[in-house]
Amino acid sequence: MCQSHSVRLLRVDPSKPPPGPFRAEFWRSPLRGPWLTAVLGLVLLIGLPIVIVTGLLSNDAYQPGLGANALGRHIGGPLDFYLFGWPTHPSWLYALTQGLHVSIGLALFPVLLTKLWSVIPRLFEWPPVRSPAHALERLSLALLVGSALFEFVTGIINIQYWYAFQFFFTQAHYYGAWVFIGAFLVHVTLKFGTMRRSLTTRADLFDSVSGEGVSPHSGLEAPSLTPVSAAPATMSRRALLATVGAGSILLLLQGAGQSLGGPFRPLAFLLPRGRVRPGPLGFPVNKTAVAAGISAPEVGVSWRLALVGDRTVSLSRAQLLALPQHTYDLPIACVEGWSTTQRWSGVRLRDLASLCGVTEPATVTSRSLEHGTFGHATLGHEQVADERSLLALRVNDRDLSLDHGYPARVISPAVPGVHCTKWVSNMTFRSVSE
Amino acid sequence: MTPLRRFRALYGAGPLHLLALLASFAIAGAAVVGWFERPRDVVNVLEWFVAAILIHDLVLLPLYSLLDRIAFGGRPQRIDRAHRTTLRRLVNPTPYLRIPAILSGLLLAVFFPVIFGLGDQTELSASGIPESGYLARWLLTTGVMFAVSGIAYAVAVSRAGAARDPGPEPTPSDPEPAPSDPEPAPSDREPAISMPEPAPQDAEPATPGPAPAPPGPELAAPDAKPAVPGRQSATPDPEPAASSDGVAPSPPSPPD
Repeated sequence: MCQSHSVRLLRVDPSKPPPGPFRAEFWRSPLRGPWLTAVLGLVLLIGLPIVIVTGLLSNDAYQPGLGANALGRHIGGPLDFYLFGWPTHPSWLYALTQGLHVSIGLALFPVLLTKLWSVIPRLFEWPPVRSPAHALERLSLALLVGSALFEFVTGIINIQYWYAFQFFFTQAHYYGAWVFIGAFLVHVTLKFGTMRRSLTTRADLFDSVSGEGVSPHSGLEAPSLTPVSAAPATMSRRALLATVGAGSILLLLQGAGQSLGGPFRPLAFLLPRGRVRPGPLGFPVNKTAVAAGISAPEVGVSWRLALVGDRTVSLSRAQLLALPQHTYDLPIACVEGWSTTQRWSGVRLRDLASLCGVTEPATVTSRSLEHGTFGHATLGHEQVADERSLLALRVNDRDLSLDHGYPARVISPAVPGVHCTKWVSNMTFRSVSE
Repeated sequence: MTPLRRFRALYGAGPLHLLALLASFAIAGAAVVGWFERPRDVVNVLEWFVAAILIHDLVLLPLYSLLDRIAFGGRPQRIDRAHRTTLRRLVNPTPYLRIPAILSGLLLAVFFPVIFGLGDQTELSASGIPESGYLARWLLTTGVMFAVSGIAYAVAVSRAGAARDPGPEPTPSDPEPAPSDPEPAPSDREPAISMPEPAPQDAEPATPGPAPAPPGPELAAPDAKPAVPGRQSATPDPEPAASSDGVAPSPPSPPD
């Protein structure tokens, strides 16, 4: 009843699809079918939550509500929450979560593409709209497919430094993720039963058992994905899945190589972070001094660090070196999924806080000689309180190089690399009571 | 008619369906509000969003389907008849070409920005390392994958030859003689006709039933499959050119 109603509204004859992809006979690959789609769906159902959760954790690690950390976002909107102060233990926590985010995301891309291939006949189903429910569901699928492709494509080109878009990546990737999360949750809710039936029902019985393909009363049942006139097979489903799996592993290795670093780094042979310069200071740099516009006089003998708290203190590099020095092995982990662990030496942030009269520091905002969005960052009280959070002066028993932030840079366990401010000129501590 | 039935008749599904969809639209709406913080970004984001769907669904997917059809949509059955006496009919070469081609294409699709140096100026200022040579790396990777596949094919051909030489009896070392397959795969689930993977045990028994039991699994070659009359083309993805295949798409019979 509803079917004929809505179909009449659209003035289409459900029994007479236009030629081409709107006809079931057009789709002839024998590989398509409910089982293949369900297997790919199951892989995505397991993998995508890892990418979603690690992505939201990365948002949390950025602590966007603190000081200068918002990076183009309006903090205070309904989706701009972060749940907890980001912990500092273990020190490789962000390297792990962000390495997983990028590596699992890369590995799932071929699965996503194959999943979309397996259901492409549905894009051309006839009649295009069977009921109001069907129309809304198709709109939701447009959001799902669009946001999934948007998230994967922006993420993949961002880790290759190709800024082809004009929008601000962190903002677009974050809000795009929410569009995806909403559409993904509703898709799983509506399709979980179909997926389970497809995996547990013998394929040749599927259509009669599941009710797919039979004339519906609810107005939602779609025609089966099983081709009505299949061409002879030239490849088994198992071979297709093996090929997709091989592609996933190839991409996973790229992500894992740049994330694990050390001897594994050459695995990332198609990513910019697969290469390092030689020597103890050759580990990766995310912004060179030239790119940051740092000039030699700024970091010469006249350089001073201003500590701002209850009082303001100005220190030269020699004075900083005369303070108690501490050494820790800590990773720098970038949002692009690469990380590198080095041996850093310098002054504890909490020692610097007490120098300027802040005994219980809640946050510290570090300002760089570099101008622009990434020239400042704020660490929370978990970071400032941790004894391993340093203003580093040396790395691997050598003075910092200019590209690594000479004369002084922040290093703190488990924070995103962009918060380890380089070429620091000013540190403003705020106490808990403020 | 109860209110619930009336709702279902009008809407086409239950009320929970509507509530779930509205909830997801509300989340999407909240995200769009976030983008409006930088109004100039909104149009650009929307362009990318729509372009992603259109380019994938209407350009890239048809394109790679067409490429696959051009490259591998030949008529292996006919070729096999012409070379009935050669070993080639024992091992279908198609998967050994298609799989490395798919993987190479995947790497290109994912890493084309770095392969073609689209971001190398940004990379240089980020890392301080001049970035180049990724095109060569991709080509080399492609070459290695085809070479490995070629070796696997050569091994499979020689194994097939060795298995055929003793005679039509299945050799005892055969891991999975075709008739005793413990799990008869439904034809829909495993439509394997060709040998998909290098390992000989991956030669799926062809469609159970009309095909005569082959002497060994390796002989479950393409022409063990009963030919489908009028459907000689063997391609996994023939859609884009299906109508040019001589198979006139006929409209389904009206259900009334």
